[in-house]
Amino acid sequence: MTRRPVPDLLPGTLDMLILRTLQTQALHGWAIAERIEQISGDVLQVNQGSLYPALHRLEHQGWIEAEWAVSELGRRAKYYQLTASGRRQLAVEAGEWERMCAAIGRVMKLA
Amino acid sequence: MNLRRLKLRARALLARRRVERDLDEELAFHVERETRKQIANGVGPAEARTRALARFGSMTVAADQCRDARGLGFFDNLIRDVVYAGRSFRHAPLVAVTIVTTVAVGLGLVGAVFTILNSVIFRADDVRNPHELFAVERQRSANAEPEPFTRRSYEALLRETDVFADALAFGPDIDRWIDGRRVEGSLVTGNFFHVLGVGAARGRILTPEDDEPGGRQVLVLSHRAWNRYFASDPGVVSRTVLVNDVPFQIAGVMPESFRGLTVAPPDFWAPLSLAGQLRGAGDVRADSVDVHIIGRLKQGVSRGQALAALIAWDSRRTQAASAERSAATLVLEPRQGTVPLSAETMVLFTPLFFSFGLILLIGCANVANLLLARAVVRQREIGIRLAIGASRRRIVRQLLTESLLLALAAAALAFAISRLVLEIGVDAVMSTFPPEMGDIRLAVPPADWRVALFLVAGAMASTLFFALAPALQATRLELVRAVRGEVMRDARPGRARNALVTLQVAASVLLLICSAVFLRSTMASSTVDPGIRTADIVMVGVMNEPQRGIVLDAVQGEPSVASIAASWPGGLGGRKTFAHGTTGKSTVAYQFVSPEYFDVLGIDIVRGRGFTSAERNPTIAVAVVSEHVARQLWPGLDAIGQVLRLEPDPKADTREKDDPPHPSRAVVVVGIARDVTGFRLGGTRLAGAGVYMPIGIDAARTSLTMRVRGDAERARRAIAEKLSSIGPNVGEVVTLRALAGMEAFLLAIPFWLTLALGALALLLTLSGLFSVLSYLVEQRIREIGVRMALGATSREIAVLVLSQSARPVAIGLLLGGSLAAALGGALLATPAAEPIGEAVRLFDPIAYAGSLLVIIAACAGAGLIPALRAGRIDPVVALRQD
Repeated sequence: MTRRPVPDLLPGTLDMLILRTLQTQALHGWAIAERIEQISGDVLQVNQGSLYPALHRLEHQGWIEAEWAVSELGRRAKYYQLTASGRRQLAVEAGEWERMCAAIGRVMKLA
Repeated sequence: MNLRRLKLRARALLARRRVERDLDEELAFHVERETRKQIANGVGPAEARTRALARFGSMTVAADQCRDARGLGFFDNLIRDVVYAGRSFRHAPLVAVTIVTTVAVGLGLVGAVFTILNSVIFRADDVRNPHELFAVERQRSANAEPEPFTRRSYEALLRETDVFADALAFGPDIDRWIDGRRVEGSLVTGNFFHVLGVGAARGRILTPEDDEPGGRQVLVLSHRAWNRYFASDPGVVSRTVLVNDVPFQIAGVMPESFRGLTVAPPDFWAPLSLAGQLRGAGDVRADSVDVHIIGRLKQGVSRGQALAALIAWDSRRTQAASAERSAATLVLEPRQGTVPLSAETMVLFTPLFFSFGLILLIGCANVANLLLARAVVRQREIGIRLAIGASRRRIVRQLLTESLLLALAAAALAFAISRLVLEIGVDAVMSTFPPEMGDIRLAVPPADWRVALFLVAGAMASTLFFALAPALQATRLELVRAVRGEVMRDARPGRARNALVTLQVAASVLLLICSAVFLRSTMASSTVDPGIRTADIVMVGVMNEPQRGIVLDAVQGEPSVASIAASWPGGLGGRKTFAHGTTGKSTVAYQFVSPEYFDVLGIDIVRGRGFTSAERNPTIAVAVVSEHVARQLWPGLDAIGQVLRLEPDPKADTREKDDPPHPSRAVVVVGIARDVTGFRLGGTRLAGAGVYMPIGIDAARTSLTMRVRGDAERARRAIAEKLSSIGPNVGEVVTLRALAGMEAFLLAIPFWLTLALGALALLLTLSGLFSVLSYLVEQRIREIGVRMALGATSREIAVLVLSQSARPVAIGLLLGGSLAAALGGALLATPAAEPIGEAVRLFDPIAYAGSLLVIIAACAGAGLIPALRAGRIDPVVALRQD
């Protein structure tokens, strides 16, 4: 199967996607990447090397918190979940994204 | 930053290994889960793992980025750099030790100068709220009279103005004798210690009751005086001592940290109302003694407000008193017991800082050269690190951290060195100071946090200087060749290295020229003929007038004394007065001398005669003038037989009790004496008088000058012993030789200082030159081998090696020499030019030539060994090498 060129995810968007993915449940790093790929229909391919720096950055900024727990493989993995300030940050970023999308859409349609 | 983030950062900082393990485990888990997914898709296990790893990308880079994302990058890197630096020092300990000691020596010397500066300028005295204390002073201006304050005006200020919570006054310093030693005291109002807010360490402080008119005869000792003169005897309080001939009771001793609001504290404080008694003049009223006023500002009164109020008060007062001359305006100067940081102080300290800083500069240049050489050795290591992905900035930062660690270690060592240098310096000066000249008050200045801060800052600045360029140079590599192990050998000496050598040579030349100039001046001053005999002359000043007769008898009975003369005002020199000659009124110096005076000091009478033994009275109207005054007053005429009329100058000629009266009448000149050039005593010139008039040998207030047989010092001691057996504080005995040698002593200090610095600078330069040349020979071994194989002789090789350093050395010599000349020229342009120019011959060609020769010889010697070694290289071995 030939792959179409993969669109580059800006680092800001990756953060937002991670926060959204964690809104419903706690996941470990691999699961977050897998979920994003699945839901976007393989369009958004997460650069796995940049996933973990993003996760650690978000953790140090206080928007997600981590916990070690036993995974489906039987060995332990680091599970992340949203904090209260993370939820607030998600709302803010989602709002920004909506505005951006609407603006670009308007330009594309009417300009 | 809330608690959770704080905890994360703390954990990242403190439990590093666990955090790293967690990270590795997290990343490993991801790869394993991905592998599981690939297997589930039907891929074989090995292939699945490969695909999973490929999909992830570089784990090391990801781990590194995670570490960066932690936000602790700076500390993380710092700790790593420090650990790495420690490891590389362990591999090359000699290099580290060399760097630390070289930088420490330079920093230590500069730190010593700063310690002195600190104790003089920055450390306020240990009194209550020193920032509230201000001195009321008159601005010095050209056209207004600097009218000083008196006690009366001080009391009026306290009464009539409202700006000070309290104010004190202190009079000029006085010189007295206690128990046979000369001490310096300060006369202060009774509330001195109370206003300053200090208490006594022992006994009590002065109180206003001590300062009532008539005064109580008590004094308070400074800690230093108590240490030096009373051997820290705890029983000194309430003891009675004789101050000259007046009994005083010691009321207390001040604590060690109190300096009396000056840089060097006086030995004792006594009540101001005793001014009349202590100054030994009966008719000088205590009220009219000149005082300085210091006040403590009231709470809420600003400096500007206080100044305005004081100026208003002052103009009211002077208007009421006399409308002739307006007094100079008042200013309020803060007084904290330090010297204010003015342009003059900076001018004084800049040359010290500069010359000591030169040593630091040379040392840093050596270290830079060393680091440049080390960079070549470390090429492989640095190349590998660059190849696996370290950024150039990162490696430069690591190299700088290494150097900074060394510099900080050097700063610690420098602190110890600065203390040592100060102790040795103070010890040397105090032990070589001739004791007849009194007691110089030198103590090792204490070090406080400012000195430590200065050393640390200096270490950082030095690091920038000696480490930055080599670090940048070290990372400029051709990666592939470096990793392969092909070390790039610097065939030609880099421009940086040459520049460093030039700098070092220039600095050494500068310092050595300075020391040579001082040496020549010292030699010159010790051979100048003062115009009188100095080797066997002893002078006695009588302090206790009622005992004069006994003193005279004792001295005349002393066997080593050959002849005695008396003179007023002192042994040498005279008081200023106006004289009328054919050219009008001019200023001359006059002196009363007994007839033996000319013979005792060996002053030739050129024409006419001296005084006969019958002429022993100021009323006898004869005079002897010096050649210079004869030419000045009667040019072209014969001075003998001329009538000389002297007119007193009230400003320059104050009189005290029992002084001989001013000869303000006409006298006849009977003789002309040889000019006495005298000698310099610390900036002023002590020359012979111009007009001599007769006085008796037992007249009051005269000093005795005598010629002795045998050694002058032994005679001085014998006379001093005899006098002290009469009583304490009877007389003061000095040898003229000691006075004359004072200037040579003062010149000797900068001579030894610049010599030590110059020798140190030269040593550092030579070691630097030696190591650079050895290193270059090492680098060019193959080339030298080829040359020798092609037929070059050892001598040609040696010349080749030497010529490599010839150019930078020559440029350095030129630079240093012209810098020294420029400095001399600059000094001559300043207002301090005259006294300096007299004492020191700044452009002495022999000094310049001598020091240049020394440096050339030393550099040639230093280069000789590597050059000879180069000449002895076996070409076969050299060609086979590397």
